[in-house]
Amino acid sequence: MKLTIADYLIIILYFAFVIAVGFVIKKKIKSSNDFLRSTRNIPLWITSLAFISANLGAQEVLGMVASGAKYGIMTVHFYWVGAIFAMVFLGVFMMPFYYGSRARSVPEYLKLRFDEKTRGLNAVSFAVMTVFSSGISLYALAKLLQVILKWDFDISIWVAAGIVMIYTFLGGLTSAVYNEVLQFFLIVLGLSPLVIVALHDAGGWENIKAQLQPALTHAWKYMGHANTNPMGINFMSLIFGLGFAMSFGYWCTDFLVVQRAMIAKDMNAAQRTPIVAALPKMLMPLIVVLPGVIAIALMTPALHSKGYSIPVTETGGLDYTMTLPSLIAHYYPSGLLGVGITALIASFMSGMAGNVTAFNSVFTYDIYQSYFVRNKSDRHYLRVGKFVTIAGVLFSIVTAYIARSFNNINDFLQLVFSFVNGPLFATFLLGMFWKRTTGHGAFAGLLAGTLAAALTHGLTVAEGKGGWITNLYEIRSGLGQAFIVAGVSWAANFITTIAVSLATKPKKEEELKGLVYSLTKKGAPLKTQWYLNPVILGTVLLAITILLNIIFF
Amino acid sequence: MFKRLNELNFVIGLFFTIAAFILLIDYFTSNHVLGKINLYTGISFLIFGILMIGIRTNKNAD
Repeated sequence: MKLTIADYLIIILYFAFVIAVGFVIKKKIKSSNDFLRSTRNIPLWITSLAFISANLGAQEVLGMVASGAKYGIMTVHFYWVGAIFAMVFLGVFMMPFYYGSRARSVPEYLKLRFDEKTRGLNAVSFAVMTVFSSGISLYALAKLLQVILKWDFDISIWVAAGIVMIYTFLGGLTSAVYNEVLQFFLIVLGLSPLVIVALHDAGGWENIKAQLQPALTHAWKYMGHANTNPMGINFMSLIFGLGFAMSFGYWCTDFLVVQRAMIAKDMNAAQRTPIVAALPKMLMPLIVVLPGVIAIALMTPALHSKGYSIPVTETGGLDYTMTLPSLIAHYYPSGLLGVGITALIASFMSGMAGNVTAFNSVFTYDIYQSYFVRNKSDRHYLRVGKFVTIAGVLFSIVTAYIARSFNNINDFLQLVFSFVNGPLFATFLLGMFWKRTTGHGAFAGLLAGTLAAALTHGLTVAEGKGGWITNLYEIRSGLGQAFIVAGVSWAANFITTIAVSLATKPKKEEELKGLVYSLTKKGAPLKTQWYLNPVILGTVLLAITILLNIIFF
Repeated sequence: MFKRLNELNFVIGLFFTIAAFILLIDYFTSNHVLGKINLYTGISFLIFGILMIGIRTNKNAD
């Protein structure tokens, strides 16, 4: 892939704009709240797009295209079974507690609802995960630029990290959020021409369906048994593992995304943020799943004349991760090639900035202020927040180099993240809807859930991974294994939390007002205009999602 | 003009308008084998950019 002046101009233009946004926002930063929390005054359309953009990192964009090529249209389950239902649930039921409790972060909510040790466990594990995620994102970006553009690995890392550091250091969370919205439009508009051209080249959707095995073009029809679909799981595992444990665990409890809704200007906007975000999220498979399905169709004998193929790995298998870059290289001429590359860079930077801003909030509020230095001036915490931003980026760079040195560290870390994240939703579900849940119960549940996740992984094998205790059960795909691990860890957390809570003393009801559903006054009556009412909006979105599942059944 | 840099829609619109000009200039000054994709994308970016610039948000909203 060779870039021309027009391509470089687009890339330079993007870098200039994201840094300029940082400088513009810098003037508004007066306090630690402005820097770390954005003072809850961001308009709904910005918080909504930032909400999905924070998740639209490199792993999402490259990973979903890769899954589209590997598993076919079933990959849409991440959206139409997973994300949408969880986002609506977050908006309707959970945001009132996050926003209404005035907690500054998700770990702080855990402190208010349970106790200090539960907050500490969540804060430390979240801070470590975000900084490692950010580093892995950085490593993947540098690796991609090295492979497809022959750019120097070290320069790519330092330039990308430097730009993210400049705009997050200058404008904090607001700057990251504003850039996430720009990055969202760049990713969507930059990759849309690719989908149109490639779909046209493949002869349209009907021709793709005619060329591919039916299991690759139907979302549900072959989910009756694990052996009849490429993901290697049945519909029950999918609905419970992905649709419930994994998706709700991520969308409803991960501070990285929840933080975007917590900066909305009022409760109604905070509730509508994930719900409004669900609309573009519902359509994202067109940009990130369809290209993968088209790519695999283009490799069938009937479309062989189109001259496209997914690159192969050293072992001779298809390198699915390179599906999107190879499509961009195949279809985009100079100029537009710069747009495509910039869209990829934007997705990496969006993911990294999201992690860095979530990291500095949690570290400053939930670790530094809670355990090390209390009762200092706001100016002190603003300085700490800015220092932590620099430290977060530097840690990310170190992590990126660690990832470069150890081939399997990415897989290992993703696995550890899933062990920690998998059970988390059970803690929040019980905490928000069962007043009897205790701090000891929540803490024990989290530990039990993580242990159960590790044990399940150690006893099952998928694509050669797992089974480090013994090979008790074989699963056809790594994705299927992840769903099962998430489901088991959720159940272990749920049961343990209930058992330990029943054996320990709960908090007084007065202390739980505003934190538990049954003890919280129902606020102002719901808005009468349908587009302002989270319940009506959520119901409409769920109806559309169910319709999409039926259409692509 | 400089005050509008505080409006995110203006910043996004400006970005896509400039990107559109780069694509269109590249299209009209070079010979593309792959047809008119740069032209169509450039025009789409330009329309989107101008629309975003044209949207007036509440001054206090941002």
